[in-house]
Amino acid sequence: MFTQFFGNYLLNKRLVEPQQLAEALSALKTTRVKLGVLAINAGYMTAAQVEKVHAEQQRIDKRIGEIAVDMGFMTLAQVDELFSSQSGTHLLLGQALVDRGAMTNAEFETALNAYKAENSLTDSDFKENDNAKIHTVIKEFYRFDGASDELMVEYIDLLFKNIVRFIGDDFTPLNCEKITSYEYTNASIQKINGQFSCTSAIDAEDAAYIAFASRYAGEELDAVDEMADASAGEFLNLHNGLFAVNVSNDSGVELVLEPQNVIRNEKQTGLTDTYKIPLAFPFGTVTFILGS
Amino acid sequence: MGIENMTVLICDDSLLARKKLVNFVKSLGVKSVVEAGDGEASISVYKNNLPDVTFMDIVMPKINGVDALKQILEINPDAKVVMASSVGTQANLKEAINAGAYDFLQKPLEEDQVKAIIEKLAK
Repeated sequence: MFTQFFGNYLLNKRLVEPQQLAEALSALKTTRVKLGVLAINAGYMTAAQVEKVHAEQQRIDKRIGEIAVDMGFMTLAQVDELFSSQSGTHLLLGQALVDRGAMTNAEFETALNAYKAENSLTDSDFKENDNAKIHTVIKEFYRFDGASDELMVEYIDLLFKNIVRFIGDDFTPLNCEKITSYEYTNASIQKINGQFSCTSAIDAEDAAYIAFASRYAGEELDAVDEMADASAGEFLNLHNGLFAVNVSNDSGVELVLEPQNVIRNEKQTGLTDTYKIPLAFPFGTVTFILGS
Repeated sequence: MGIENMTVLICDDSLLARKKLVNFVKSLGVKSVVEAGDGEASISVYKNNLPDVTFMDIVMPKINGVDALKQILEINPDAKVVMASSVGTQANLKEAINAGAYDFLQKPLEEDQVKAIIEKLAK
């Protein structure tokens, strides 16, 4: 989960362009993390040392690990350890950005270390997805200021897990906005009643809506039609249902869901305590609306 | 009875949820699968087909799944209605079982659970 917020960090710090990030996210599945990025992440080599090893590799026909050992930057045991370790998605993202020339190894090193320091994260946090830390990162990122802010954080925390589970992990949360009006394009909306009474919605332009719906349906959809609406709506309903189960289990509070509605090209005004929560996928931006 | 002789009713307001469950149930060998898109329609489809098992969503327009279950049980007190909902809270589970549901499945549906129910009722 931290990988998704790391992507946002790179965007906010203007270290990468949205298009570069989208392309890197698209390439995650075919990206292999190279030794240089692994070594930087583990703190075994600096970016400058990695550059020296790469330069040396241009001259001699040896594997990069061997060169790093020959140059005294790493031990053989460290090289073996890096090759046998599972790398987190954040490193895949870093590698994909470096591969595309969006960042240098040095820029990636600086950004990753700064991000880890700002959020008190270790490398294992990226891999293990510590729930308490994810909760803190989400809370800090969104800074909801309403009466139900804790439940809003719970909602988003579960939403991201469900997106990773049912849609994919190749998304970046974009900055959240408190809004008083919103113009829906293609949206599925569901009201939640009870102690945490709110309206939830998923909205996107045609192409992103179809792509999102296709992923959830597990089949290629090609139009904004009843099946696309059913798929987007079913994702929202499933997520809201699982949220209601969690709230019920954790606090005994019962939430009641209303059937979803579809709305298109409609502007709603006079919204209160309502947040626009956009997520950038390689296929476009999908916006979640959550508010009272 | 045998699976191939069963009639199964699938009631869900989501076209996608219905399609997935219809395809899966047919893949088990059930030949007669009927559908309804809301609670109200499920009652008339039930009456017309008297299915051996009904899979019923809870959050639906017009009449919710639990109210539809109660009306179906008035038609046939022995009806086997399995509630299939994303909102598997203890309260919903209790309400459904008290109302006479045969079973309760949490969405997303596990195919093995659907299969086990159909195979059990086919005997």
